[in-house]
Amino acid sequence: MFKKFRKKSPWILHYNAGSCNGCDIEILACLSPKYDLERFGVINTGNPKQSDIFLVTGPVTFRSRERLVELYTQMPEPKVVVAVGSCTCTGGVFRDMYNVEDGIDRYIPVDVYVPGCAASPELIIDGVVKALEVLEKKTKAIEKPRKLFKEALSKEGIVDRRECALKVGEDDAKDTE
Amino acid sequence: MLTQILLIAPFLFALVVVFAGVRLRNILTVAFVIFLACVSLLHLLFINEPLGYDLPHEFHTLFFFFDALLLLYFLYVGIAKKDTLVASLAASQIVLYGAVKFVGGGEGSHDLFIDNTSLMMYLIINIVGGIIVVYSLKYIESEEFGRLKKNGFIAVLFFFLGVMNFLVSTDNIEIFFLLFELTTLCSYILIGYRKDAVATQNALRALWMNQIGGVAILSALLLALVSYKTFSFELLIANIDATYLFPVVFLLIAAFVKGAAIPFEKWLLGAMVAPTPVSAILHSATMVKIAPFMVLKLSPAMSVFLSEAVMLFGTFVFFAASLLALSKNYFKEILGLSTIALLSFMMALAALGTQEAILAASILMVFHALSKALLFLQLGILEKEFHLKYVNDIESLMSYSPLVVFFIVFGFASLTLPPFGVFIGKFMAFESFAAGIQESPVFLAALLFSALGSVFLTILYFKVLTKVFVRDMRLGTSKTKEIATTYKYTSWALSILLGAGIVWSLERQLFGMWEIVIPALLIAIVPLLLFVFILKNAHRVKEYNCGEKEEAVLNMYYLHTPPALQKIIVVLSLVFLGSLFLGVAL
Amino acid sequence: MSEILLILLAPVIGGVLYGFERVVRARMQNRQGPPLLQPFYDMMKLIDKQTLIVNPTHALLGVMHFVALWAVVAFTIMGGNLLYIVFLHLLASLFLVLAAFSVKSIFSHLGANRELLTMIAYEPILVMLSVAFYIQNGSFSIEAVRANPSALGSLFFLFLAFLFVVQLKLKKSPFDAAKAHQEIVGGAEVEFSGLFFEFVYMALWLEYVFVYLLLLLFAGNNVLLGALLFGVVFLLVNLVDNATARVRMEHLIKIFLGIAVSLAALNLLGLSYV
Repeated sequence: MFKKFRKKSPWILHYNAGSCNGCDIEILACLSPKYDLERFGVINTGNPKQSDIFLVTGPVTFRSRERLVELYTQMPEPKVVVAVGSCTCTGGVFRDMYNVEDGIDRYIPVDVYVPGCAASPELIIDGVVKALEVLEKKTKAIEKPRKLFKEALSKEGIVDRRECALKVGEDDAKDTE
Repeated sequence: MLTQILLIAPFLFALVVVFAGVRLRNILTVAFVIFLACVSLLHLLFINEPLGYDLPHEFHTLFFFFDALLLLYFLYVGIAKKDTLVASLAASQIVLYGAVKFVGGGEGSHDLFIDNTSLMMYLIINIVGGIIVVYSLKYIESEEFGRLKKNGFIAVLFFFLGVMNFLVSTDNIEIFFLLFELTTLCSYILIGYRKDAVATQNALRALWMNQIGGVAILSALLLALVSYKTFSFELLIANIDATYLFPVVFLLIAAFVKGAAIPFEKWLLGAMVAPTPVSAILHSATMVKIAPFMVLKLSPAMSVFLSEAVMLFGTFVFFAASLLALSKNYFKEILGLSTIALLSFMMALAALGTQEAILAASILMVFHALSKALLFLQLGILEKEFHLKYVNDIESLMSYSPLVVFFIVFGFASLTLPPFGVFIGKFMAFESFAAGIQESPVFLAALLFSALGSVFLTILYFKVLTKVFVRDMRLGTSKTKEIATTYKYTSWALSILLGAGIVWSLERQLFGMWEIVIPALLIAIVPLLLFVFILKNAHRVKEYNCGEKEEAVLNMYYLHTPPALQKIIVVLSLVFLGSLFLGVAL
Repeated sequence: MSEILLILLAPVIGGVLYGFERVVRARMQNRQGPPLLQPFYDMMKLIDKQTLIVNPTHALLGVMHFVALWAVVAFTIMGGNLLYIVFLHLLASLFLVLAAFSVKSIFSHLGANRELLTMIAYEPILVMLSVAFYIQNGSFSIEAVRANPSALGSLFFLFLAFLFVVQLKLKKSPFDAAKAHQEIVGGAEVEFSGLFFEFVYMALWLEYVFVYLLLLLFAGNNVLLGALLFGVVFLLVNLVDNATARVRMEHLIKIFLGIAVSLAALNLLGLSYV
């Protein structure tokens, strides 16, 4: 009965996991009067305990990865993770560099990927709306940990990273929803 | 008849306790305390109107003898410890006493005079004082004294109870002086009981500062004998002439000294090095209550100027002492300064003299004694069981001993929140000030000082809970430490008495029923909820620290008073005191 | 009878008021703002979250804060003793402070200490307000105030001082250092989540109801004046909130003790001797 209110009042937690700030600026622009996310009831709470949507930017740097997971665990279920910007999805222009971890889906399960460098506010709003649809379907049970990456297949010593990511739904057969 | 028992019994008990073995001493002390408490309660039932007794003439000679011995002993202490202040004040007291005896004459009313104020003080002294004596039985067990010295501690406490009982029943200013100086003697002995350097130094300081009060009483007595030809409080007040109020002013100065008003607060703060029962009984619950007691006695004699001046001074000290307490870390100093603040507030109300103000002052006296005794007992537990003196050293007390935390929070709550007695007293005080505002702007200043002082005290108490109330979930319940039975029972006794106070105020209709019941329910539900709803099924999560893994290190806030402001406060209080004399002279 | 109904519906009224205020603030900022009933959508969503608590003391004291504040609003609606209500409100705030002190979190303690400091700011003014009404009407009772004609003319300085208090109690700029969302992440409310945050959230709505009820006292028995005052102050409070930056705690206390308390004291002097 309360489920339909989940999408009427999504509170976001915005975290910068080593980003260049471009996507952060775009997210803050969403909250400004021109794009106005607050008309959907969105409030930017800085507090994981009081938020539903985890908006992350930045390819995960060495120092931010522990804090990323800490913040994710402090959010109560049901929650969704929205990866904003190409860096957050796959590493973007910094892919394969020595100091980044190529995106957050190595550490926390991501529900919506918003591409772009920097992702435009309209795209971000689109992503948040899609996240709300996903949020409606989630349960209050703690999300079971699932493998985010499968073993890399090596062809002649070259690893094709495009084969590494699990497709959405693959290996999810054991989840109930 | 009942009163004679109350006056003589504690001295006998003191003698008996000195020579008893440990178990006998414990049993006897508890029995004596219960006996004294019952006798003081019986007084309430049987004595309905003021009583006066006369003592036979031999007693007067005996008292003169004791007095002379006492003053000579003070002189000896001053010379032996090479303390000029003690010696010179003792010498001046001897001279003044000689002058008093030389002038002589004067008529008095009765030597013993028991009225409602005395009955109320009996309750405070015997019940609260008695509970503290029982507490000290366990407390001194862990001190490094020999058996005789430990028994001596209890004996001196009983002796002190006897002196206090006598002090609040006497009408003769000369006997009052003797007893006043006997309480100073008790203070000196008990503060210096541990015999280390700091203790001896603070004991000497307490001695000379209290002797200023003695000098003041003797001057008042001398003036009363010379101009009013009386040595009795009642006759002095009855025949008071509004143009010659000097005796009253000197007696008020003595009250300020005993109540450690600024600028006399150093002796009380220094006295906090004494064993905790001493701090509890002498310096917050019982002995310092002499100050508002004296002002209550003198309030019919005060002229409009004097009562307004004392009211202004009292509320000013209330404000200043609370402000100073905000910068302290030593737990006992925090409680000591808040005692000074509330005592001055009681003195201000007593000086005001209206019926509501006097009722407010009396309520404050009784309930403040209960609350402060409870708090000091918890400090003693912290000192003995957990070896904690400073607030910032307290870590995770909630996991080690939730009971002590409950008592501390209860004690602080009973000093600030409805429906407890101290709150009711403060509330009636505000109503009295509001009623008087249209007479004189002094009431507005008093109201402002009281409002600010009261909010400073609230902040003070709850800021201390920063460290006390933290519940560290990582420690779990296995760390709980049991505290000794005596400590538990005495704390519960005081808490139950505080609760009984709520029922009493409900019955007396000091407030509407809902105004008392609802906050009582709100406060009572909290411990109930915490024991019933432990929320086992809820998931636990870490505190928010921006995702960092380090543990938070927490400290209590200080609100530092700059030294310049402290000097201004002392100067202002001296100006106030001076203006009392000036105003009365004009 | 109608008073009992009002008391029971107080959180709902507060919620509608809070929602309306969000819309007004948004329109002032030239944007659309959330729907009117947004606080109730928030409430439903918060009830539906997984219960995560730090420790039971913290969660339960948050609930007691809400209950105590409801009791305060109940006393105000029933017309009790104004001075007593001021101190009962202190009890409600102290529940929140105690709750915040029971967790080992830096932001929580920071917020609670700041909350304690703000008491220095508003308590004296509320006490002087009660005394002023006492001088006007001869009694501390709110019923007497509501029965008599409006005292706004003779209590004008006190009204100005009270506006400071309104800004502080509703946790709005420039006096929102105790909540300080961007600075200390909500202060005392930081460790609440889910259902228990809902109680603290509703406590904020009740605070609105309480403060505006006190405001209506200045209108006495004149309902029209009350509505006018409410409208003007509502807009003014939101305008100042949108237009000013946050003030630091020391400055907050200096502003209150310097300006607001002086205004109130001046008014009291004037009431007694003019």
